[in-house]
Amino acid sequence: MTAPDPSPAHPVTGLDDVVHQRVRLGILTITHEARRVEFGYLRTQLQLTAGNLSQHVTVLETAGLVEVEKGYEGKRGRTWITLTAAGDQALAEEIGRLKQLIARVETTSTPEER
Amino acid sequence: MTTDSVPAGADPRRLLSDVRALAHRVRLDQRLTWVALLVLAVATFVAIPFDYVGMDVRCVNGGSECQFSRDGVLYYWPAALLIAYTAIAFCYVRAARARGLGARVLPYALTGAALAVVFTTVWLLARVYLADPPTEPFPGWVMVLDRLVAPAGTIGVALLVLARLERNVALLVFTLGYLAVVLVPIDFGWTIHSSVRAEFIPQQVINGVVLLLGAAGFAIARRRQR
Repeated sequence: MTAPDPSPAHPVTGLDDVVHQRVRLGILTITHEARRVEFGYLRTQLQLTAGNLSQHVTVLETAGLVEVEKGYEGKRGRTWITLTAAGDQALAEEIGRLKQLIARVETTSTPEER
Repeated sequence: MTTDSVPAGADPRRLLSDVRALAHRVRLDQRLTWVALLVLAVATFVAIPFDYVGMDVRCVNGGSECQFSRDGVLYYWPAALLIAYTAIAFCYVRAARARGLGARVLPYALTGAALAVVFTTVWLLARVYLADPPTEPFPGWVMVLDRLVAPAGTIGVALLVLARLERNVALLVFTLGYLAVVLVPIDFGWTIHSSVRAEFIPQQVINGVVLLLGAAGFAIARRRQR
């Protein structure tokens, strides 16, 4: 008796809940492109309230995916967010899995299989 | 993007599309292409009087045979390029910071500065090793190489790096056109033969005008995007 061939894991099983969330994925994407991004820019681009954005940034910071740096420019407080190496890798893996998912959906969505 | 938490089963196509749109938006906000081209155009125009006045021309046989040395180019351009790339980097960082972003300009500025050093070194070496004028004219590829390491050529090569950094297809197309004008060179039929000094003016003016038109075009495009 031979063991059945293990089929490759479905891309969904590798998704990280911290990253696979639309807002947090947006934060990681913007931070990756910008190298360093100010809290206000993220809020404008993602159309979030300060409290909501702050919660998502805290989740990413706790997971070690971003670093938060608070400071002042003149009298104005500014919060800058930077992507860590782990965040960079997590984003790349998430995008890779999304592409795999799309490819998988496209190959299995023939009329016979629906 | 919404404020709601999205379940893990969200449409991957839409997520990926959102990611691409956000990345594109950030890149657009980081760009300051028109400023880079404007600074380089100004540097090109300011170089013209330096080249004209600083050129060492020695004519014999009643002016029928002339030797020239473009000392003005050698004195002006190394400093001008370094100042230009510093100014461009400063403007990029300042504008990006004002928008709440980091800047991607540093590799471009460093490439430009390194190419300025390459140009200076090559011209100094050429001066040492080609002290006596060659009896035969140089082959075409040597002249193209000479134009490539000259200031106008290095400006084009550095702009290719900027286009890559910004993933800016419009800048890539513009730069290829600019390099064609510089390297061929394309003078649009405008030549001056009144003196050795004046012979170099048309191409420098054309190079500067191309950069200036590019700056205007990118400035208008940016204004429309906003």
